[in-house]
Amino acid sequence: MNARRNIFTSDAFHGLVRNRVVIILAATLIIGATFVPGFLEFRTASLGLDRMATLGLVAIGLTVVLIAGQLDLSGGAILALSGIATIGLQAELGQIPAAFVGLGVGIAAGAINGFLVVVLRINSLVATLASMLFFRALAHLITESRPVSGIDPFFGLAVSRPIGGTFTGRTLIFFVLIILLHLWLTRSVAGRQLFAVGSNPASAEASGIRSRAYLFGAFVFSGTMAGVAGVIQSLSVNTGSPVFGENIVLIAIAAVVIGGTRLEGGRGSALGTLGGLLTIAALTTAMEYQSVPSYVQAIVTGVILLLLILLDRTVSGSQRRDVTLAALWRRARSSRSSRITERTLHHEK
Amino acid sequence: MRNRISLVSSAAMVAAAGLVLSGCASAADDSNGDAAADGDISICYVTAAEAHPYVTPANEAFDEAAAEAGVTVTRLSQEFDVQTGTEQLNTCIGQSPDGIVLWPLDPQAYIPGLISAQDAGIPVVLINSPMDDEALEFVTSFTGPDTYNQGVIAADLLNDLLGAEGNVVIIAGQAGNGTTIGRTDGFTERLDELGSSIEVLQIVNADFDQQKALEASRDLITRFGDDLDAVYANDDTMARGFIDAWAESGRSLDDIPPIMGINGQQDAFESIKAGQFFATIVQSPREDGKLALNTIVSAARGEAVEARIPIPLTTVTIDNVDDVEPAL
Repeated sequence: MNARRNIFTSDAFHGLVRNRVVIILAATLIIGATFVPGFLEFRTASLGLDRMATLGLVAIGLTVVLIAGQLDLSGGAILALSGIATIGLQAELGQIPAAFVGLGVGIAAGAINGFLVVVLRINSLVATLASMLFFRALAHLITESRPVSGIDPFFGLAVSRPIGGTFTGRTLIFFVLIILLHLWLTRSVAGRQLFAVGSNPASAEASGIRSRAYLFGAFVFSGTMAGVAGVIQSLSVNTGSPVFGENIVLIAIAAVVIGGTRLEGGRGSALGTLGGLLTIAALTTAMEYQSVPSYVQAIVTGVILLLLILLDRTVSGSQRRDVTLAALWRRARSSRSSRITERTLHHEK
Repeated sequence: MRNRISLVSSAAMVAAAGLVLSGCASAADDSNGDAAADGDISICYVTAAEAHPYVTPANEAFDEAAAEAGVTVTRLSQEFDVQTGTEQLNTCIGQSPDGIVLWPLDPQAYIPGLISAQDAGIPVVLINSPMDDEALEFVTSFTGPDTYNQGVIAADLLNDLLGAEGNVVIIAGQAGNGTTIGRTDGFTERLDELGSSIEVLQIVNADFDQQKALEASRDLITRFGDDLDAVYANDDTMARGFIDAWAESGRSLDDIPPIMGINGQQDAFESIKAGQFFATIVQSPREDGKLALNTIVSAARGEAVEARIPIPLTTVTIDNVDDVEPAL
């Protein structure tokens, strides 16, 4: 038997590839714990997760858009715009109403993206590239390219401070939202139908799913999550700035793709995105504690991304096999128990 | 079967580990080299960028001064992204260092982080760029050039040169950045104060980047061309971009309008000697980095430090270009 082929087709290899996020995350944590003193302390973890929260909110929106087979580049610009509304309107409206306006900006921006893609049928990469440029320019225009500051720097500390000695407010919000997304994607009919739309919108339509409504909804959802991220981010720093979130979308896409969601649509998971985010957060924390220059950090992230995509391709021919961790565990247990039965039989003989 | 699974999985683990390890291991060597052996003071330094004509020499001088003082430095780089910077400031506070040095890229956004640092009893020194007055009550000291004053000096020089009338364009740095705001507002507000008839035709943001300044200058030259009486660039790097665009447009460098820059870079000195550049203001990044480190070390040791420690500024024109050392 060809040994090399054997490895690439074995259940073990498939299992490794499918559960690569868990493996890379574990490797990152082990290395971090070895090289960085205090890496596994709760406070370090809490701070590392806080770093991920804003990115994570944008990534939640992108997970849905990517599963639907689309792309949304405008998240960072929406984040900046809704942050400017949240902070800039505080004096006129009060802090809480202004935050809701900020959220509304995200929803409206998402609806514009949805309109461009679903009604005008513009390719989502082009449509959101254009809207990204437009929203970003608008942010510069209404602020005259200067950051706006809020009325009370202490107001937003609630979202960036640990609550009751655990996680920060924004980390908790992120966790709740990603768990809700996981439940929606896996347990609800609508969630399952989103995957069908992402795999093939036409055939989903033919089987009675309103594909266009799902696509529109995906963009509104993504805009809303960018809005939430903008509100939280701007409150935490008491500033709305036209330059906020300039790099966030590409890193969020990296996290989502590391988590196993495919750009082609129809495949992905909320927990995968969580894994991807945790990996990036752990890598960032570990390398920053070692004063690794940020461009080296970018190289490591890039290499991991490429490696995962290549691994993905090696098994793409046989995606149908059930090689989730749970299934592998079941299989390992059943093979062990059958062996034990065998042995017991021997003894009885 | 089970043996094979464990063999393959451990091989993959080793591969993945090795990948990340190679990044961390090389970095560990670097930081050990930077920090003095058993310094009991640790400083967390949130810098603006890793690779930049002004920031890099400031970072290097910072590290050298740290090695001399025997203190350990953890350096985080914002890469000119404010949001990253505010998060890195929180990471710094979480490490409980003896002092934090922050290179602020926004006059306001770091304030909640500075409040947290003050609550944690960690002294903070701002390096290079100013923040708004509300921020200053949460920091121990601000070391760095007075950027507003640089704008004022630039306005005075150009106003005298042009006889208080004419058209100028401003090639500004990154939008919203404290240095950009200081150098630009200092300039325009001083012109108003002087009652000057000099008109600012346009302000463009070129992010302290030569290439972006080149592109913006092409447009400025096409649009205003011979109507330009002078150019004010927020730094010499962007002034270089304007000179390149002028040469590229096929015009003679002898006819180039007078350019006012800031920083005192070597190439600006050469351009002044060649008569293509009117003046620059020398501001030494090495001085900047060293001053911040020494100030935070004093603060960490509990010594009293001044709330505002400016670095000296020198104006350079054709008259004194041979007598002054370029800053970088």
